[in-house]
Amino acid sequence: MNRFVERHRSILDFALSSLLRRKGKNISLWVVYTLIVFLIAAIVFYTHALKREAAMILQGAPDIVVQKMVAGRQDLVPVGYVGKIAAIRGVGAVRPRLWGYYYDAVTGANYTLMAPDGSLPGPGTADIGSGVARTLRVVEGDFLPIRAVDGVPTLFQVRKVLPYASELATSDLILLSEDDLRALFAFPRGFATDLAVTVENPAERATVAAKIAAQFPESRPILNSEILRTYDSIFDWRGGMMVVMLGVAVFSFVIFAWDKATGLSAEERREIGILKSVGWETGDVLLLKFWEGAAISLAAFLCGVILAYVQVFFFSASLFEPALKGWAVLYPRFKLVPDVDPYQLAVLFFLTVVPYTVATIIPSWRAATVDPDAAMRS
Amino acid sequence: MRKSTVFSLFTLGNAILLALLLLYGRYGSGEAGAVQEASRNLVRELQLTDLCLFTEARYTRHPSMADLHSAFQDHPMALEHFPSGSMVSPPRFRRGRP
Amino acid sequence: MIALHDVTKSFHPGKENQFTAVRNVGLTIAPGRLTVLKGPSGSGKTTLLTLIGCMARPTSGRIVLSGGGIAGFPGGEEIRELEITSLPERFLAGIRRATFGFIFQHFNLLRGISVLENVMLPAYPTGERHGEIRRRAAELLTVFDVARHAHARVDRLSGGEAQRVAIARALINRPSVIVADEPTAHLDTDLSRGFMEIVGSFKSDGKTVLIASHDPIVCDSSRVDTVVEMRDGRILRSGSTP
Repeated sequence: MNRFVERHRSILDFALSSLLRRKGKNISLWVVYTLIVFLIAAIVFYTHALKREAAMILQGAPDIVVQKMVAGRQDLVPVGYVGKIAAIRGVGAVRPRLWGYYYDAVTGANYTLMAPDGSLPGPGTADIGSGVARTLRVVEGDFLPIRAVDGVPTLFQVRKVLPYASELATSDLILLSEDDLRALFAFPRGFATDLAVTVENPAERATVAAKIAAQFPESRPILNSEILRTYDSIFDWRGGMMVVMLGVAVFSFVIFAWDKATGLSAEERREIGILKSVGWETGDVLLLKFWEGAAISLAAFLCGVILAYVQVFFFSASLFEPALKGWAVLYPRFKLVPDVDPYQLAVLFFLTVVPYTVATIIPSWRAATVDPDAAMRS
Repeated sequence: MRKSTVFSLFTLGNAILLALLLLYGRYGSGEAGAVQEASRNLVRELQLTDLCLFTEARYTRHPSMADLHSAFQDHPMALEHFPSGSMVSPPRFRRGRP
Repeated sequence: MIALHDVTKSFHPGKENQFTAVRNVGLTIAPGRLTVLKGPSGSGKTTLLTLIGCMARPTSGRIVLSGGGIAGFPGGEEIRELEITSLPERFLAGIRRATFGFIFQHFNLLRGISVLENVMLPAYPTGERHGEIRRRAAELLTVFDVARHAHARVDRLSGGEAQRVAIARALINRPSVIVADEPTAHLDTDLSRGFMEIVGSFKSDGKTVLIASHDPIVCDSSRVDTVVEMRDGRILRSGSTP
């Protein structure tokens, strides 16, 4: 056992000496490799954690949302539907949702205006999300102007800023009383944006949705499961941005491996010949090459993944913000709950370490099997 | 110190650090659960359906409610106006319909 | 003792460029003695060295090691006699590593790593404790008066120093047989004489020494016990120096 360990350690010693001989090249190789791993790992961690977060938070979303379509486009839904849908068996409650979008020309930001059920802000007051507070630089007690459809701005006093912790879902919200919202948008009474239907038994939801669709052919029911599935597929690898990033990474890996795999230089061949002539066997030479490849790729993997974890979970993926924010003026600030999928990590490990190590060993195979006497004769 | 010792310590140290980070993520962040619970309750109270990730335009803000005439329902080869289009695909139940 | 029986070595057998380097050679290398293979280049000296030193296998013939135990072979301590011609590569390599130390014509040191590491290199795959290997290497460097270069790069050494490092490397695994191929080819007279003195010390340590050379300083040295003259792969004559 001891001999086994000692042999590996000695050969690893020499592998490291070998790598250090071309210090500049190998260190820059390791740095670049680490960066690539960092990029991929950060993307993987971020998207996985975000999806988990979405799945957790959006469990509170309505069971079914019913929209009304006219000529294939979404239209306002008559409040009269409420009673008829509530009569369907299995339906708990039906609440109309009143919400819309508001574009603020001054800041260039888009807000979501909403009149919630429950604890309404009183007339002339508004509850705002943290992102709104940030963009407009207002705090509780300040006044916030909103233009109505006729162009006349109305002032609303900020009653409350929604908790920072819920930014991911509420960042751009401006909550108003129903009357205020209807007045701003000239929203006709008797209509709502859509309906939120509660169905206690999850198994019955699809059935109820089908019944609604049957009873109101122009309606479009959206299930909670469909809402959740939307967020499952964000940052899907099929999305353009991801394809580019992953493609870049794969390409880089291929370049690294190619550099290794296109055979040995004459110098390297000579060295292997010398090693064989002083008593190293083929297996020893291959072990040397294995450690040369594994040392760099292992170090790159560990450093890259640790950096990615710290970036994503301790610094809120600040590096990705420009790409994710795009042209948006308002962007939520949130700290993701650390969650890593071990399967993804394992795959990343194999992709990082195995191809590179193999690419280092394979071309040496031929040179390693050379007869020891070759060094004598050259 | 031998080079192999340095390397082994470096690797082991990193591996332990990584393990600690992963464990911290899984078990250490207790309050995160409470925060998520609070967010979920707020979502339930306000009856929200989407995360506020893409506020560039009206039709990017609620991907799960997306309208037939908004960007995500376009032909798959349609060029996107916003980066979000390249990150979010149309909801699955929307794909495949004309 | 190493005995060769009717050994032939051909390269690329059966092909157009078939070349027979060693032809029907029968030879006995006596233990503890200095044997010199003498002959012009192309006479097959180097090839014969590689065959004796377990670096290559003969195309035909037998090579037998005998004497007090075989080093580097499992259970070899009890073996009186061992034919190595048909041994698998792994065992052959083990015997070679433990029994033979090679000094090459061009020294064949690895560039870019230190002198000390060069000397320690042949012992790495044995799984011996690193500290032990290092100690022996440092000792050898001191014996050959190159200890002050221990951490220098090999490229910085003079010809004589490089050769002494090569000799130190050959001794790291404590072999009983030293094999040298044209060791004085790149040395001046003084250094060549110095080399022969080192060879003398090998002999007094009880090691067997085998040198291939056509340098008179080597061949005509008083320390030589047997001279084997070769030409065209055959032995012309072999005899002890009077």
